[in-house]
Amino acid sequence: MKHLSFSFLILCLTAGAAHADCYADYKAKRDGPLRLHYGVAQIDGDCDVRSATDQLRPRLDRDGWQLLNVLGVFDDAGLDDRKESAGEYFLRY
Amino acid sequence: MNISSAIEAREIGNRIVVAGIGAIVLILAIAAVMLFINLPDANAFNGRVEQLFIENDTLTGNAEIKLLEILAGSGTAFSDTLASYRLVIFVQLVFATAMLISAIAFLVMLIALNRRMSQIERKGIEVNSLLISRDQKSVYLNNFEFKLTEAAIETLSVLAEARMDDEVLSGAEIEGVISGRHASECDEAAGATRIKRLRDTLGNQMVSELLVKNIARKGYMLAIDKDVIRMV
Repeated sequence: MKHLSFSFLILCLTAGAAHADCYADYKAKRDGPLRLHYGVAQIDGDCDVRSATDQLRPRLDRDGWQLLNVLGVFDDAGLDDRKESAGEYFLRY
Repeated sequence: MNISSAIEAREIGNRIVVAGIGAIVLILAIAAVMLFINLPDANAFNGRVEQLFIENDTLTGNAEIKLLEILAGSGTAFSDTLASYRLVIFVQLVFATAMLISAIAFLVMLIALNRRMSQIERKGIEVNSLLISRDQKSVYLNNFEFKLTEAAIETLSVLAEARMDDEVLSGAEIEGVISGRHASECDEAAGATRIKRLRDTLGNQMVSELLVKNIARKGYMLAIDKDVIRMV
């Protein structure tokens, strides 16, 4: 029983961890004058480019940014490599 | 050329002028539209930079992005210059249209004036050609044909011959030349009568040709433009 609850806990943790660990990097623009940015954002739910696109579009739109494309999705491991490039847009949206 | 065909010719001329001016305006309007369509719009540079940004996944660094933005900014500045060029070209097109239209209008006016001038020259009282046709018993003054009697033709011919020799004939001399006798045997009054008859027939016909026209089987009409008639 104890063993079972432990394994459930592990499962929950890993599931939660997997859930929280999805990130996507994207490119966005703002017109007149043209402003560009490269950013990294956390993605909820399915960890794929399509769901990332669906989620990022309204988030960016709130600040007047237009999503150009999503480069890809990754987990914690890829986060550090991109932190410098994303700069102020690292995990901002 | 009769009256109806002259009016027809004028109408056709007017239509050609209107069509010509219309064609000029149309051509230049098409040129203006092409100008506005073909010049790159203000966003062309931004679009190109954006494309560059999308296609190159390595251009993600802060510095690179700043550089791209500056590139787009200078492109936009250049496209502003282009827009002002476009305006200048457009204004010049409008000027060209106005010039061409006025040129055509002046050309047409010149042609009309020339035609009118030559008409006035031909129809005026001033004689610039005198042709005596003995066998048809007629004389052509300018382009008017006048029928004369045998005697009047004789008188006119004698006067014309004398004029070519720069001579002045008295009445007796005229009578003498025509009758074949010596001038001293002729009566001055006989020559004067000949001149009077010539004047009468010629004057009558000239007035009739210039003012009161006889249109065959229809009647009489004043041969002048109706615009010049004024009643007091």
